[in-house]
Amino acid sequence: MSFASFIFRRVLQMIPTIVFILVVTFVLVRLLPGDPASAILGDRARDADVARINARLGLDQPIFVQFLYFVRNVFTGDLGNSISLKVPVARLIAERLPVTLLLTAMAAVIALVMAVPLAFVSALRRGRASDVVVRGAFQVGLSMPVFYVGLVLLIVFSANLHWFPVGGYGDGFFAHLYHLFLPALTLALSLSAILMRNLRAAVIGVVGAEYVDFARAKGLRSRLVLTRHVLRNALISTVALFGLQIGVLLSGAVVTETVFAIPGAGRLMIDSIYGRDYPVIQGLTIALAVVVSLIFLATDIVQAWLDPRVAR
Amino acid sequence: MKRILAAALTATFLFSSALPSLAIERGGTMTYGRYADSLFLDPVLNDANVDIWILTNLYDTLILPTDDGKGLKPGLATKWNVSEDGKTVTLTLRQGAEFSDGSPITQEDVKWSLDRAKNPDNGIWNFLVQSIDTVEAKGDDQIVLHLKHPDPAILAALTVFNTAIMPKKAFEASDGKTMREKAENFAQHMVGSGPFVLKSWDRGSTMKLVKNEHYWAKGEDGKPLPYLDGVTFEVLPDDATRILKLKSGELDGAELIPYSRVKELQDAPNVDMKLFPSTRVADIIMNVRQKVNGKDNPISKPKVRQALNYAANKKAIIQVVTNGVGSPMSSYMSSATPLHTGDGKAVYPYDLDKAKSLMKEAGYPDGFKTSILVLAGSQDEIGTATALQQMWSQIGVKLDIQQVDNASRTQKYRDGNFQMRAGAWTDDIADPNEITSYYVYSPNIDAVHSGWKSDEANKLYEASQQELDHDKRAEQYKRIQEIYNSSGPTISLYESPYPVALSPKVHGYVQIPLGNNIFRSAWLDQ
Repeated sequence: MSFASFIFRRVLQMIPTIVFILVVTFVLVRLLPGDPASAILGDRARDADVARINARLGLDQPIFVQFLYFVRNVFTGDLGNSISLKVPVARLIAERLPVTLLLTAMAAVIALVMAVPLAFVSALRRGRASDVVVRGAFQVGLSMPVFYVGLVLLIVFSANLHWFPVGGYGDGFFAHLYHLFLPALTLALSLSAILMRNLRAAVIGVVGAEYVDFARAKGLRSRLVLTRHVLRNALISTVALFGLQIGVLLSGAVVTETVFAIPGAGRLMIDSIYGRDYPVIQGLTIALAVVVSLIFLATDIVQAWLDPRVAR
Repeated sequence: MKRILAAALTATFLFSSALPSLAIERGGTMTYGRYADSLFLDPVLNDANVDIWILTNLYDTLILPTDDGKGLKPGLATKWNVSEDGKTVTLTLRQGAEFSDGSPITQEDVKWSLDRAKNPDNGIWNFLVQSIDTVEAKGDDQIVLHLKHPDPAILAALTVFNTAIMPKKAFEASDGKTMREKAENFAQHMVGSGPFVLKSWDRGSTMKLVKNEHYWAKGEDGKPLPYLDGVTFEVLPDDATRILKLKSGELDGAELIPYSRVKELQDAPNVDMKLFPSTRVADIIMNVRQKVNGKDNPISKPKVRQALNYAANKKAIIQVVTNGVGSPMSSYMSSATPLHTGDGKAVYPYDLDKAKSLMKEAGYPDGFKTSILVLAGSQDEIGTATALQQMWSQIGVKLDIQQVDNASRTQKYRDGNFQMRAGAWTDDIADPNEITSYYVYSPNIDAVHSGWKSDEANKLYEASQQELDHDKRAEQYKRIQEIYNSSGPTISLYESPYPVALSPKVHGYVQIPLGNNIFRSAWLDQ
């Protein structure tokens, strides 16, 4: 089977996944106790006001009728309007999702930059002092909760040293990068620890393999052996893990966005769930499902490139 | 001698001419950290404090509340007069007042705005002006309200955000097929009558207001208000981040400081920690129905409720939950609410022996099991419930604390499917009628969904809504409070101020007891 048909098959597989997620989300949010009107009106909710809001939103219709409307609208590209914010869901997603994606991408890059070299150092100097120090440091990073790490970084680097702003997102691309550095670092700490451990183990396994001994025996320089043979083979399992962890990273963004006051999709999702803002929850779920599916697709492609057996 | 005189005169002249500029500096943008973003900036159709507390900067009302939240001062009306029989209110519209686009504020705009506010199909606030029958434009500058019945709170109602004056033409010219769609579009491209206008709004992040160049009110220096060029709101839901940002100088103000941090910020050198008086009260609301979920409900007995009240040590709760910032309540309404009765002492002083004997008389010498709904993640409510759990264990009551989110909680108490819940209230009007209509008057929402009912209190409330004689109305409210405080469905815990942390360079900012953030007279050291 060719590489192209492998990709085509994987894209087709995404469709039922996304449809399934859509149906489950649609039903699940309506099973939550309370409705948008209860969330909006709170303590002062009067039956007449609640009924009027529900009627205006079409929530007095049977659930399958609501679903049919929803499916029809999704296929015409209309995700509806936010109930609490009164603006189109598509606009909210276009505003908020890129923020989260940028944050996640920065976190992923920082995590890789930290994890890959240190994993090699750690693996090649196994049992030596540097190995113990690196592993110990990552273990600490992994064990601390994200919101705590975030606050500590804020207090040290923003409030006291004034190197970075205390939260926010800034105006303009470079301001975004500057504002997102600490939150991305916060997210990257736990991810890099996981990647580092995995890659270290893989490197140790590969270094002892016969084909590496053979490459060395051929007289290849040790740097070439490391990059072409050891790294490439060790990365196969780490790339799979990395793809899975990006999903985790997206959910970690929810906490980070709150601590660092970043107007991203994570916070929008939380606010929408509290506000029972059904259209936003649904629209954002579709968008996130597509993003995660694409990331998985990308990881599969990278894996297939590293190890052509995967595509077969 | 001459020289000295000249020098003295010069000094006096310099000093006196320097005074106004010393007192007030114009310009600059104040950055203010909020815990949550606004939802819908429409005076009539909004549902929540996050909107209300911003709206009062965008639209003026005919009458404005004074900074103590109790009195009236001229707004877009310069004079008002209530007729002898109390059924006609005549207001004189301010001449020369303009909307932010420079168009004049006309009688037509006022009539249209008030008609929209009183329309029972519009929003949840129209009950405050339900006494208005028709609005008439008379002569060149008069607005006459013809009332269905005398309404002692009508002037106070004309200070409430929902009666704000909006531009009819600009609103109707907005995109949208229905009035609701027009409102949603207008809210994003608004033209207003208040000291500021909305310039831009990144939802969930920042909202920028700039000064309304056409605002009518004058400052102390004789030039038009506001002093500030603008106000920028940043949404910072995390308390710790909000405080850090203030301390690092990135914010000029931060709202809703947790009580536990107030002392620390009072001692901080670069922070002006304000505790603005408020009408906010915190309480426990009990379900007093005979049966809850098909089971007999001990709390339906007034004696049990009194016992729970006596066994709740409010002083301790004020210490534990508000770090001493709160004060005890002598009625269900705050002491800043007009016609409040009480001496500042708790309605039920802590008395464990009395609580025990009341439990015995009610037939529960060994107590019972019950539960309380608190808002998940709310330190105040969880702290209160945990303290009560300990206190009530002394009279054998086992309290199960259930954390739920706001929508689930609202659903549960609308269904009457709860035993107790933590509650809070803030007035929107300088009158006791709003809180009383929700807490006491059962036809509205079953006395905050508790199922409590008193025919006498209901009748008194109905009569008080038409009583023009201040003393008689005060008598009625005295009796309503007696009835409710002695047998009602609540445990009044504490009233607490609005904790706002400001930078020392901020002057003239105030949050009034009704919650309105007033930036109109705020200014910054340059």
